[in-house]
Amino acid sequence: MGAGVLAIAVYFLLPADGQSIFYVVIGACSVAAIFIGSARNLPPEGRLPWQLFGLGLAGQVAGDAIFAVYEVSLDREPPSPSVADVFYLAGYPLLAIGALLVLQRLGGRTSRTAILDTAIIFSGVALVQWVFFIDPYNHIRFGSEGARLVAMTYPAMDVLLLVALAQLLVGPGGRTVAYRLLLASVALWVVADEVYSLNVNSYQGGDWIDALWLGSYVVWAAAALEPSMAHIAEPDRRRLPRLTSARLALLAAALFTAPLALLIERAAHHRVHAFVIALGGAALAALVLLRLAGLVHAVERAGVAERVARRESEQAQQLLAYQNQQLLEIDRLKDEFVSSISHELRTPLTSIAGYAELLLEEEEDAGKRGHLAIVGRNADRLLALVSDLLFAARLQYGRLELERSPVDLRTLVQQAIDSARPRAQAAAVELHLETVDVPRIQGEPAKLAQLIDNLVSNAIKFTPRDGHVGVRLTARDTMIRIEVSDTGIGIPDADRERLFERFFRAQSALEQQIQGTGLGLYISKAIVDAHGGRIGVDSTPGEGTTFVVELPAGGGG
Amino acid sequence: MNAEGKLVLCADDDEDILSLVSLRLQRAGFEVATATDGQEAVEIARTRRPVLAVLDVMMPRRTGYEVLEELRGDESLRDIKVILLSARVQESDVARGLDAGADAYLAKPFKAQELVAKIEELLES
Repeated sequence: MGAGVLAIAVYFLLPADGQSIFYVVIGACSVAAIFIGSARNLPPEGRLPWQLFGLGLAGQVAGDAIFAVYEVSLDREPPSPSVADVFYLAGYPLLAIGALLVLQRLGGRTSRTAILDTAIIFSGVALVQWVFFIDPYNHIRFGSEGARLVAMTYPAMDVLLLVALAQLLVGPGGRTVAYRLLLASVALWVVADEVYSLNVNSYQGGDWIDALWLGSYVVWAAAALEPSMAHIAEPDRRRLPRLTSARLALLAAALFTAPLALLIERAAHHRVHAFVIALGGAALAALVLLRLAGLVHAVERAGVAERVARRESEQAQQLLAYQNQQLLEIDRLKDEFVSSISHELRTPLTSIAGYAELLLEEEEDAGKRGHLAIVGRNADRLLALVSDLLFAARLQYGRLELERSPVDLRTLVQQAIDSARPRAQAAAVELHLETVDVPRIQGEPAKLAQLIDNLVSNAIKFTPRDGHVGVRLTARDTMIRIEVSDTGIGIPDADRERLFERFFRAQSALEQQIQGTGLGLYISKAIVDAHGGRIGVDSTPGEGTTFVVELPAGGGG
Repeated sequence: MNAEGKLVLCADDDEDILSLVSLRLQRAGFEVATATDGQEAVEIARTRRPVLAVLDVMMPRRTGYEVLEELRGDESLRDIKVILLSARVQESDVARGLDAGADAYLAKPFKAQELVAKIEELLES
């Protein structure tokens, strides 16, 4: 582009004949640059618009060349109309079609609104062109009617370029450098044509207006060579044609062309084109009305769509709420069922345990006493299960409520260990205890005893023969720590996260057929939580597990 | 404490439990009167004036709570000690029983020694 600007500067320094030739050279270079750029930046199927630009400008260059031949070798202007005009005029539609193709490839839709917008812009532009550029030729003396017709065709062709320019202005590709260059080159060309039309009588070769045409050549070539031109062939979904402010401004401008044209003619004391302006104004008004109707229609459609969507969303929400309620109800019924079953189970268990106890006291035969002890122990086991189920069912209703009193955890742990000793002995597991005096905590003794018993029972249950289970009670500041460790089968990492879930059973426990309900740790965690504490686990599969409970001396909330 | 000859009322709709409790109390030296529903329990309390009543909560005709209220509402029966016995062990149940004026609340299943010890404790105080 720098070279182009330099070339334009050189152009104005040359003598007249040199100018004519150099003008053609610049144009030809531009055409070559467009073909090279499109071949370099675009795949074969995407080159058509730029090839049209190239051909359109080639038409201009051909016209220029014919002019140059006349001026240099014959030293006079070509006759009017001449062969040059054919090339010039043929170039315009190619340029305009090229621009519209660029827009189409960018994703510009040929929707009803897009067509209407084009028609509105076309009407405005055509009105202006007719009143100020085309019709004046009717009042100038020409050598022939053919020359008059050719002269009038140029501003008519500019209508095409102006429409293309307007479409490019509101088009969806505004972000790339190449697109802006293209816009600038079309604009330069149109402005050059219009300025020329206004000064047609005083124009001489080498006039400053040539700089505009030459500039257009250069910028057009720069657009084709600019690498970002590859992107303006790709559809851009983010910038589909909408009623942007630019588009709105353009439509408004088109709407005001008729009254403005009228005012300008009045101010300049021109002959007023009342009929044409009235016709153009009416056409514009009708088109704008149509566009408006389309907008209103679109708004209505959007409103209907929104209402439908809102109704659907409301229905979906209602359904969801209903299903939620159903689920809650089912959950509640299930918990009620569990609670009621637990209650019904306790009554016969009372008899079984009670009479077994009675018989055990009366029986003297050691064998029978052993059997009765088994009945009693299993009744106790069943009872523990029923209690856990009831506990878990109640936890579902809400948070665990505690009946708090000061608790000495050292005594509690001691008692839990004492009552676990027979079980440890039966399982050939050694039980260690390590305690210190700890501050009393505010809590519910029965629940805390259940917690410690759960952890110790688990440790014994999951530890093979000749293993160890250790319980440590320590205190740091106001935090009391109970650690229950074993040399048992351990808990795989995968199971550790779900360990405290209701009814969860570790895979290793299932594999080794160790009995359990999956409630113990769930209940333990609930008890710890209710006391404002924390429970955690550390385990190495095959080596052992340590459960750590931390309880605040205050007893939490 | 001398349990000898003291009358204890036992009321439970489950006859197996009723005879178990009766047997335990008789062995501890008490005289025992039994009832299998709440209404019968109230009638026996009126006619035989036990020193203590062991009432199951969930009984037909009148629940243990209702029997308790009846006893507490009657000047001449107010002094009878009451132990509620229930398979319902929720805190709310226990609280309701104690609020209604029960002297103790025991959950089923209970250990025999536990029940006897509780009775003796109440009668001593």
